[in-house]
Amino acid sequence: MRRTVMCVLAFLLFAASQAQVTVLGWPGGPEETALRAVAEMYNAQAVDSDKVELIFFNRDGFFDKLQADLAAGTQEFDINLLATYAIGRYAPYMQTIELPDSGAFSNKVLATMQYEGKQYGIPTDLSLHFMYYRQDLIDQLLSDEAWKAKYAEISQEYMGTALEPKDPDSWTWDDYAATALFFTQSINSDSPTRYGTVLQMKNLLFNMMIWHSTARSYGGNWMDDAGNITVDSDAFRKGLELYKMLYDAGASPKDSLSYEYAEANAAFGSGQAATMLQWNAAAAELSNAEQNPVVADVVGTVAPPTGPEGRYTHIHGLGLGLNANAKNPEGAKKFLNWLANADAIKAYAIAGGSPALEANLLEEIGTERPDLIKLGNFAGSYGFVMNGGTAEKALSVYELQAKEFTGYWAGNESIDEALANVAAGMTELLK
Amino acid sequence: MKPFMHGLRWLVFLLAAFTMNFPVIVTLVTSLKSKAELSINPSLLIKAPSLSNYQQIFNMADRFDIFSILWNSIIASLIGAFLPLLVCLPAAYAIARLGFARSWLLPIVVNLRAIPLVIFAIPLYMLFQVTHLLDTRLGLGLILTLVNLPLTLVLLVNAIAEIPKDLDEAARIDGASTRHILRHVVFPLAWPSIATCLVFGFITAWNEYLFGLILTTRRAVPMTVGASFFFSASGGGVQWGVAAAVMILGTFIPSLLGIVMYRRISESLTSGAIKG
Amino acid sequence: MTLVKLREKILLVSPLLIFLGIFLLFPFIVNILYSLSDVDFKTLRNINISGVQNYIKVWKDPDFWQAMRFSLKFALFAASLECILGLFLAIFLSPLLKKRSWLLAILMMPMMVAPSLMGLMYRLVLHEFVGPVPFYLWEWFGNSPAFLGGKNLFYTLSVIEVLQWTPFALLLFYVAYVGIPESIVEAAHIDGAGRLKLLQFISLPLIFPALLVGFVVRFIDSFRVFDNVFVLTRGGAGGSSKACLFIFTNIFFNSAK
Repeated sequence: MRRTVMCVLAFLLFAASQAQVTVLGWPGGPEETALRAVAEMYNAQAVDSDKVELIFFNRDGFFDKLQADLAAGTQEFDINLLATYAIGRYAPYMQTIELPDSGAFSNKVLATMQYEGKQYGIPTDLSLHFMYYRQDLIDQLLSDEAWKAKYAEISQEYMGTALEPKDPDSWTWDDYAATALFFTQSINSDSPTRYGTVLQMKNLLFNMMIWHSTARSYGGNWMDDAGNITVDSDAFRKGLELYKMLYDAGASPKDSLSYEYAEANAAFGSGQAATMLQWNAAAAELSNAEQNPVVADVVGTVAPPTGPEGRYTHIHGLGLGLNANAKNPEGAKKFLNWLANADAIKAYAIAGGSPALEANLLEEIGTERPDLIKLGNFAGSYGFVMNGGTAEKALSVYELQAKEFTGYWAGNESIDEALANVAAGMTELLK
Repeated sequence: MKPFMHGLRWLVFLLAAFTMNFPVIVTLVTSLKSKAELSINPSLLIKAPSLSNYQQIFNMADRFDIFSILWNSIIASLIGAFLPLLVCLPAAYAIARLGFARSWLLPIVVNLRAIPLVIFAIPLYMLFQVTHLLDTRLGLGLILTLVNLPLTLVLLVNAIAEIPKDLDEAARIDGASTRHILRHVVFPLAWPSIATCLVFGFITAWNEYLFGLILTTRRAVPMTVGASFFFSASGGGVQWGVAAAVMILGTFIPSLLGIVMYRRISESLTSGAIKG
Repeated sequence: MTLVKLREKILLVSPLLIFLGIFLLFPFIVNILYSLSDVDFKTLRNINISGVQNYIKVWKDPDFWQAMRFSLKFALFAASLECILGLFLAIFLSPLLKKRSWLLAILMMPMMVAPSLMGLMYRLVLHEFVGPVPFYLWEWFGNSPAFLGGKNLFYTLSVIEVLQWTPFALLLFYVAYVGIPESIVEAAHIDGAGRLKLLQFISLPLIFPALLVGFVVRFIDSFRVFDNVFVLTRGGAGGSSKACLFIFTNIFFNSAK
C-alpha cells in the first residue's frame, strides 16, 4: 500500500526518475524480467550519471512506432531494442557499436545483430520454435495397439498412406499431421483432446515466422542467391497446404484464424490440444504447475519436424543497440559493454533471458537453465534465416505474407492468387 | 392481459440489459477468478472468488503502473473536456446571439464529426514532434479537444439560443461588456448544457484509442491503450485474469459517470444528434 | 445588436479559429501536399511534389476497394439492425422506462465502455478455452462455431457493434417517442384507432426524423469503425475485415513500404 501511495505521489509531483541512460526494451515477456534484473545489478555498481532506467511500450505496433520515433530523431531513449528482421530498417538511425571480446558469443550469434557487416547491437535473446506435445498421450499412442490401428486408419484416409506412430523427435511433417488428426475428437471420437494441434493463423507477422519452419524444411526460401523471388514454389505450396488441410479437417480450433501466441497457449494449457508449434518462450509457462495445472507435468518439447529438405527452425535474435541521437551515448556504451561481459550475460540468462551463449558459459549455468542448452543446440543445428530476412523491408514482407497466406487459409483466395500476390509484392519490396 | 404484458416487458428489458452488458459482466467475472481456476473454468460462475488479479496489478507498479496510466487518462480527458468549452463558449455566443459566422463556422465544426480525424495523424505527429508534445498528456488532451469540438459547439449554440434574449440585452443596455455577459449571464443560464458537455466530453475523451496509440509511447499512455498492452504483452504468461481486471479498472470511471449522470448524457446524445 | 462591433465578434470566435487553424487547417494542407508527393518517413519534412500518382495508386489498389466495401456493408448492416432493435425496445419498453427512468442508465452502460476495450473483452468472451460463450455452446450443444474466422467474422463484428450501439438508437427513439404530445395520442384514441393503427399512422411518422437521424449517425460512426475491429482481428485473415480506417492507419504505421 505504501508503495502505491508513493507511486501516486511521484506522479503527482511529476518527479521523473533521474536515471542517466534510458533503455527501451521488449515488453511483457521473460526478456523484460531479465533486463530488469541485470539493470538492477548494473545500477548497484554504477555511478549516478551512468545509471540506467528502463522503459517499455506497447507491443502493438512496436516496430512501426520505434521506426517513427527513431526517424524523427527521438531522444527519449539512448538504447533501444533491435530485432534481426528489423535491423535493416533501423540501421540508418542507429550507431554501430564495438563489443568487447568477452568470448560469450559465437560469430554466428553476433551476426544476428549485424547489418551489412557492421555490428549494431548486442544479441541478448534468441527465439526459435519448439514442437510442444503431450508426453502422456504420445506414450499411450506408441504403446496402445487399438490406438495404433486407428492411427493407421486415419492417416490412410486423410493422407493416402497408413502411418505408424513415431517418437516426436523423429517426426516428419506427415507424422505430425497424422498425430494432429488422430487427436482430434471430430475425427477420432476416442481422442482425449478436442484438437490434435493448435495453429496460429491470425493475420500477424510473427505467425509467419512460425510457419516458415515448415516451408523451409520443404526447401522453400524467399529468394535464390541471384535475388529472384522464389516463394511461388512447391515448398511454399506444401507448407501452406499442410496448414490448410489441418485447419479444414478441424484438427486445430475453429477460431485459429484469430489465434496468436496467447490464444494458442491457452488452448494447449487447457489440455484440449495434443501438439503445438510454438515459440521456445512458452516452455517455462506451460510447465509451470501454478499457471497450467492440467498440462504442466506432461509437456514435451523437440525441434520442429523434419521435411524432405531437412529439419529447420526459424531463428531471430533480439538485442540492444545504440540510438544515433542518444543523449548519453557514452553512458549507453558503458552499459552495453558491461552487458556483453560473461558474468553479466550469464546473470541475464539466469534471470530468464534466452541468450545463445558459447558452450563453456552454458555449462556454468546448466543447472539453472537447462533449456538454454536445447536452445543453443537447436539454433546451431536447425536455425535458419530466409534470404532477405534482414533486409530493410523484411518486416513488410512478413506482413504481406501474413495477409495473403491467412487469406488462403480462410478460403478467401486461392493458393495461386496468394502466392502470386506475395511474389509480386516481394519483388517490389526487396528489389 | 395487463400483468402478462408487464411481465413480458420486464423480461425483454432484462434480456436486453444482460445481452448488451454481457462482455462487461464476463470481464468482471473473469477478473475475479484465480489463475488456476481460469485455466479450467470458463463458465460464468466463480468457484472461489479472488481479488488476486487486482492485487497483482497493483503489485507490478514498476512494470505496468496502473496509477500513472489512469492519471494520464484523467488529465488528458479533463483537458479534452474543459478546453473545448473554453474555446467554444465565446464562439457559440457569437454564433447564437450575434449571428456571426453561423453560415460557415458552425457547419465546418459540426461536420468534423463525420470525418475520421486520424487522417491527420501524420501532420499532427510532426507538429507534436516539433513542439515536443509527443507522449505528453497535454498533447493528447489537445487532440481530444479537437474530437470533442463538434458536440460542444452544437450543444452550446443551442443552449445559448434558448436563453431569453431580454436577459443579455438588458445587461448590454446597462453597459455590460460581452465578457461580463458571458460570465454572469450566459454561463449560469447555460450551466446545465455546460455540465452535459463536460461529462460527455470526458467520457468520449476517455474512450478514445487511436490517437492514444499513435501519439503516446509511455509517459502519457491512456487507459485504452494501456489495457491492450496487457493483451499483446502476454508473452510472460497468458494473463487473461489480469487483463480482465485492467479492463474493469479502465471501464470503471466512465461507467460510474455514465450511471450517475445518465440523464445529462442522454440529453447530450439526443440533442447533439437531432439538432446537429 | 449593432452595439457589438465587428472587432469584438472576431475576438469572440478567434479562440476557436486559432485552434482549428493549428489542429485542422495545418494538417489538412500538409496532407494535400503529401498526397501529391513522393514521401516516406525519411523525407517527411522535405516535400517533393510529384503529382497525382498517389491518387491513382489508391484508386487502383484492390485493398482500398476491399476496405471500402467492408466498411459500407458493415455500416449498412449494423446501422439497420441497431435502428430496428432500438425502435422495438424504445416502444416496447417505454411504459417501463417512463415509470423508472433509471432503467435507462443500465441500458446505456455499453456506450460508456471504450470500443477498444469492448473489442478486447470479446477476445476473452469468444475464446474457446477461456470464454464463456464457446464454453456454454460446447456444454449445451457439443459444438461451437468459429466466431472470428471465415464468413462468420463479418457477422460477429457486426453483432458486437450492434450490441454496443443499439442503446444509442434506443435512447434517441425513446426520447422522440415519449415526446409525442399526449393530445395527439388521445385524439387518435377517441377516433377509435387501435394500438397498431396508432403506431403506424401517428407515432412512427412523428418520430421518423429521429429514425433518420439515428440511422445516419450510426451509419457514419460504423463506417469509420476501427478500435474494436483492430484489437480483435488486426484486419482479419487476408485483410477481410479491414475497415476503411485501416487504410489511413496503414499509411501511418507502414509508410516504410
